[in-house]
Formats: sequence, structure tokens, C-alpha cells
Amino acid sequence: MKRNLSTVLVLGLVLAFLIGPFLIIIAASLSAGNSLAFPPQGLSLKWVAKVFTVESFRESFATSMFLAIFGTLAALALGVPAAYALNRYRLPFSETVRTVVSAPIIVPGIIVGLALLRYLVIPAGVPVMLALFCAHTALVLPYAVRVVSASLGNLRSDIEEAAVLLGCTRSGAFFRVVLPNIRGGILAAFILGFVTSFNQVPVSLFLSGPGVRTLPIDMLGYMEINYDPSVAALSALLAFMSIGIVFLAERFLGFSRYV
Amino acid sequence: MFQNRREGLALALPAAVFACVVFLVPVAILLSEGFRGAAGFSLTPYVEFFSSPLNRAVFLRTLKLGALVTLVAAVIGYAAAYAIVNLSPANRGRVFGLVVLPLMISPVARTYAWLVILGRTGFVNQALTLVGLTDEPIRFLFTETAVFIGLLQLFLPLMIISLISALENMPRDAVPAARVLGASWLQVFTRVILPLTKEGLVIGGTLVFTGSLTAYITPAILGGSKVLMLETLLYQRVTVANDFASAAVIAMILIVMSFSANLLLKRLARARGR
Amino acid sequence: MSDDTCLALERLTLAYGDTVAVDALDLTVKRGELIALLGPSGCGKTTTMRAIAGLLEPRSGTIRLEGADITRRPANKREIGLVFQSYALFPHLSVFENVAFGLRLRREPRAAVEAKVAEGLRTVGLDHLAARKPAELSGGQQQRVALARSLVMEPKLLLLDEPLSNLDARLRLEMRAELQRVQKASGITMIFVTHDQGEALALADRIVVMRGGAIEQLATPEEIWNRPASGFVAEFVGFETVLGLRDGKLDTPAGLVPVSGDVPAGAAGLAWRPGAVTLGTGPFEGEVLGVSFAGESREYLLDSPLGRIKADAPASLAMHGIGAKVAFDLPAARAAVLPRLG
Repeated sequence: MKRNLSTVLVLGLVLAFLIGPFLIIIAASLSAGNSLAFPPQGLSLKWVAKVFTVESFRESFATSMFLAIFGTLAALALGVPAAYALNRYRLPFSETVRTVVSAPIIVPGIIVGLALLRYLVIPAGVPVMLALFCAHTALVLPYAVRVVSASLGNLRSDIEEAAVLLGCTRSGAFFRVVLPNIRGGILAAFILGFVTSFNQVPVSLFLSGPGVRTLPIDMLGYMEINYDPSVAALSALLAFMSIGIVFLAERFLGFSRYV
Repeated sequence: MFQNRREGLALALPAAVFACVVFLVPVAILLSEGFRGAAGFSLTPYVEFFSSPLNRAVFLRTLKLGALVTLVAAVIGYAAAYAIVNLSPANRGRVFGLVVLPLMISPVARTYAWLVILGRTGFVNQALTLVGLTDEPIRFLFTETAVFIGLLQLFLPLMIISLISALENMPRDAVPAARVLGASWLQVFTRVILPLTKEGLVIGGTLVFTGSLTAYITPAILGGSKVLMLETLLYQRVTVANDFASAAVIAMILIVMSFSANLLLKRLARARGR
Repeated sequence: MSDDTCLALERLTLAYGDTVAVDALDLTVKRGELIALLGPSGCGKTTTMRAIAGLLEPRSGTIRLEGADITRRPANKREIGLVFQSYALFPHLSVFENVAFGLRLRREPRAAVEAKVAEGLRTVGLDHLAARKPAELSGGQQQRVALARSLVMEPKLLLLDEPLSNLDARLRLEMRAELQRVQKASGITMIFVTHDQGEALALADRIVVMRGGAIEQLATPEEIWNRPASGFVAEFVGFETVLGLRDGKLDTPAGLVPVSGDVPAGAAGLAWRPGAVTLGTGPFEGEVLGVSFAGESREYLLDSPLGRIKADAPASLAMHGIGAKVAFDLPAARAAVLPRLG
């Protein structure tokens, strides 16, 4: 009984610490007052509504969405073949290749952003958007390789040989028997990559220019000037979006198996 | 059938080349700026960086906060993980989900919540004023405490997750066996649980420590320019002073730290693989 | 080459990097034959099979299938079937779709595919499970699906990798009978790889005993059982006591010892099964290290100056306890005569 009580107490406090702030954001975003406060001064949806009218939020949301979706797709386009090669071929330097493609996870994003700004954007005139796209792709690449690798590791490699002996070409075997079986892993990698890219700040810090800003950077900028609950409302909305995506993924493909 | 190396390399090459071009090469050039003096190779940027009292203070503060967050996360993490592991399977899944949930939420949103809580008109100050403990709002924001709380909230889930998997891999009867043999709860922890979950602690600790060292948003929002950490200092040096030499030095420090932490993790994973 | 040759390997040499796994192997398999490649792990049997299937490119030599040189023909054009040790079923496809896979690739008409798959599943007795996924089947059922998947392609040659090794003892017997039935019914040429001599002896028309990448003996099961070509083969098929001959005497750890009985000229050694050792009388003496009851007989392990000897005695005779000294004999008349010792 004593053990039970202490268990409840510990978990209650820890969860309050972890989840509480999130609940407070939701409450603050429902405030009717004009400045950020908790408990909220009256209830209204006006700040939630305002989020959708702020032009820069709309633009940066579109930018972030674009980066998260297409950056992750690009990372998968590069990562799936790489994961396949690392898993199925005995390659020279395979350890090196693995380290190179997973390096972006080790190096702090702010450094990547700065390096791209200084050596690609400024001297070579690479558009900021392209640099941002490359940075996000590089950032997601390690997750793509890792999750797809895990998925491939669970799949016997002799089914490809079986397919070939039944008349498939090598590439045919990949598309007919490998791809359908790692679909779940690829989807999981996509979701993980999407969430990572969408929430990413440090990489994008230096890579913003006229009309090119990711949503989190835009929020940081907005916060410096304004002290109203619209950022709280936006934060709550984004949190619900992330949770919704992950919840659906877990429900329909047992997402956590892959991560 | 998989002997064709050229085919394998052709598949792996695009990813590797991409990572090199947009990633390794630019970062390497950036790092090299930290070794550039007036005449070729020199350590001047490092000497200059560390000769500034402000920079030294930021460096030490970053280490201190990282260590502190890791330590406190470990203590809370053990209590939470132990409690979670001993729940019924259904509850365990639910609570685990709640612990993982914050990881899916944007760090900006998570840190922003602390503005609401710790701000001048925030939750804590309102409560204190209401109870009559204070007349003037207390300044919580832009203190090390605020940054510490923010970082702890950000990275605690990683520690709990690592410790849960370590505790789950512990032999089922180790704790009861130790109790039967007469060990006190403290002895059970130091003699049985700690040695058996050391790996999980190191993994969680590395994640929390490197996460805290390389955090940007939390010190930026909750620390501002008063409580700089290495990443916010880097940003400031570049945007305010165009000081790329210092940026390169900070980058090197951050990379060396994350890299050695990662190496440690890899070695551990390999030891466990054996 | 006669007309009824299905497969011919000519001086086939296989290597992984610098390690030669199979060295200048020659083998001819007749149409409709059931051949076993038998040997311990690392003897090159699986490597040989993979080369025949086209999954491994030979270093040199020729592979002919029904007279045609297929050495450089890609695996997907060889018309050779392979049943994998792990079955290698496609996890995302139903039993029906697994079996239909190759037929669909050939773009056979839908009706023909359906008829052939139904026929194939009926042959292996699984027509009622066509809609299941592989994960919902037992090991034995999965193997039948794998067999059907290869059979419906009507390959010129069917290879099987350790077909019985993943099954439990009862299923193994059942599957053994099944394989024989299918093979006789379809008349298909089969080569299977195994490390289990019992399996090879029970199933095969001819057995290829392999060792170190070369053929040690190629013969019928009876011949291998009764007249092993070497000490290696003898030990592989249950001759527990193998001794060399020098100057007409047994070459033992205790020196040269006279043989009881006549030895044919040119013999390099003699080999005895446990049942061929005479227990109770004889010129040698051993101490009983262990004895176990095996129904009809008792199996003894003796420690003697000739080395450790395994001997069986009828269970009706009195038991020698552990530590007892027992006389025994190794009669030449009951030994297999080995032309080579190694």
C-alpha cells in the first residue's frame, strides 16, 4: 500500500512536470485577455482565430510544411537505397558510409546552418530556400537510414533470391518483395522525419532570408516583439498536430515498433 | 548474388555524396577557421576565445547546467522508471505514452509554456501574489534556474525511456532476491539496481547531457542574453559581431563533446552486442 | 553425354574472395534422380547448390542443364527451383499468391495460374489454406508452400536446402515420405543438401559425400552404408571405430596389433559399427566408462589401449557395470574394408 502511494506520487509529479506546461499553453491560448497570462482572463477562441490571420505565420507554416514533406521525401529517396546497400551488400568502407550518412545527427544543427550559410549561400549564391531544403534533408537522412535499416534487418534476404529464382530481375525482386515488406518502416521513417524536420530550430536559425522562414523561427521572432497569447495558441495547435500524426501512426502501423 | 560491389556502392553513393557536400565539407571548412591565424595554422582563435572571461563563464555554465540537468534527470528518472516498470501492463503503456508525448511536441512550444508559467504575470507569480507571499512579481525568467527547469523538462523523457528499458532487461528476481538476503532499499539500489542498469544510465545520461549542451531554444527563450550558453553565444557572436573565429571554436567544442559522447554510446552498444 | 542427363557439373570451381570453397568438381545427375549432397558444414555442399541455382558465379568450370551451358545464365532464366532452408516465403503475400508469384511473372493467363496453383496446393495437401498468410502457418506447412511454389514452375531441376532440418522429428518423417511421393509422382530431378546421413540414406537414389570442397564418395545409399570409401565417410555413416592397417596389423595408439581374421590385400584400414564389436571375449580388454540402455541392446563406451571403443551388446545379456573390465574383439570379418584411411 505504501509502495502504491509513493508510485502514484512520483508519477503524478513527473507527469505534471512533463505534461503540465502543455496543458497550461492550451489554457493560456484560450484567454480572452490581451496579454499572456495564466489562469486566463476569461475564455475565448480569439487568439486561436488570430493565428490563422497572421500573414507571416501562414507563409512560414507553408515553408515548414514544404520542408518537412519534401525534405523527408528526399531523405528517403537517398536513404532507402543507402540502407538497402548497407544491409544487403558486403561493401568496402561500409562503416565509413554509415558514419557519413548518420553524421548529421551528431553535429549540432546550428553549426550545419552556419556552415551552409557561410560557404554555400553567401559565396556560391545558392538560394536560401535550397540551402534550407538541403539542410533539412541532411538532418532527416540519418533517421531514414536508421529506421529503414532496422526494417530491412527484420526481413530475410533470401526472399529476394527466391523471387529471382521464380523469374524476377534483381530490381524486380526489390520492388515486388522487399518494398511491400518494408512499407511500414518507410512510413515510420517518414513520420519521424516529418516531425523532426517540422520542429527543427537550430538548423534553420541562420538560414532565413526575405520570405524564407520556418515556422518555429517565425514564432521565436514573433515572441520577441509581441507578448500576446497567439504563440501559445499556435503552439497548442502544432502540438495537437504532432500528437495527432503520431497517434494515427501508432494506431495504424504500430509506429513505436520502428523507432 | 550480393557480391556485386559496384551495384552496392552505386546505391549508397548518392546519400554519402549528399551528406558530404551539404554537410561534412562545409562543417569541416567552418571548423578549420578556428585554426586560422594571420599566417597559416595557429591556435590563436582558441587562445583568444578562452582569454575572454565572458566566454569562459559561458563555457563553464554550459558544462555546469549540462551536468546538473543530467544528474537531476537521473535521480528523477530512476524514481519514475522504477514506478512505471512496476505498473500493470495496461497502465504502463498509458504512462509510457504520456512520458513520450512531449518528445513529439515542438521544443518552441514546450519552452514557451515556461514563459507562461514563470513570466511576470505568469502562473507562479500570480499564485504567490494571491497567497500574499510577495507584492512584487519575482523575476524567474532569464535566470539559470529557468534555463535549468526548461532543459530538464525537455530532456527528462529521454532519461526515463533509457532507464525503463534498462530496468526491463534486469533479471526479474534480482530485487526480491536481494531483499530476501537482507538488503535495505538503499543497498538494493546501490548494489543491485545501479550496477545492473548502468548501461541505461550511461545512454540516458549521454542523451541528456549532449542535448543540454547543444540546446538552443531553451537558453534563447528562458535565458536570453543574460544567461548565455554555448549555442546562444555562437549565435550572438555571428549575428552581432560577425565573429566567425569564435563561432568555429564553439562549433569545435560542441562537436567534440557530442562526438565523444556518441563514441561512448557506440562502444557500449558493441560491448552489449558481445 | 547421354540423353537422360539432367545436370552436369564439369570442373566446377567456386570461391568466396580468396577462399576456394569447391575445387574442380565433376558431377552428372540423371533425369528423375534424387541426389543428396551430404557433408559436414563447410564442405561446400551449399555453395555448390547456390552455384547450380545461379546465386553464385563460378570461378571456373561449366554447368550444363539438359545439355545447355547455363554457367553464365542469370538465375531468373535458369528454370531451376530452390526450396530454401528457411522457406523464404513472401511474408506480405497469401499462400495462394506465394505459389502464383512465378506464374504471374511469366504472364500466364489468369485461368492457367489459378488452375496450376490449385493443383500445386493440392499436391502438397494445403488447398484449404490458400488464403492464409505465411506467418499463420506452421513450419511444416510453410515448407509445403515453398515446395508447391517451386513445383508449379515445373523446373527442370529442383534444389532443396536442408529440407528437413527445421522440422521436428515426427514432421520430418512425414515430410520425408511426402518428398519421395512428390518426386516419384512428378518425375522431377531433385538435389538436396543435408548434413544428416540418415536423411540422405533414407531419401536419395545416390549420395554425394562432400569434404573440403571435393567429392569424397559418390554411390548408392547401400554402397555407402556397407562400403565407405574412406575413414571420413565411414565415420560419417556410423562406423564408430576406425583403425588403420600397417604391415597387415592394426595401427593403434598401443602400437601394431594383430588382426583377428584375414585382411584383403590393398586395404588401408578397417571400420566397425558398435554392433560389429564382439563383447565378452577377445584379445583386448577395456574398462566400461558408460552404459546406456537402448531397448534391444545396451550401448557401451569402453576405455581401452586401442582408444575409446563404442560397442553394442544384446540387452538380454548380463550388464557390465561402470568400471568393470570387459574383454572384446574387433573381428575383421565384420569390419568394413577401407580403401583409403583419411
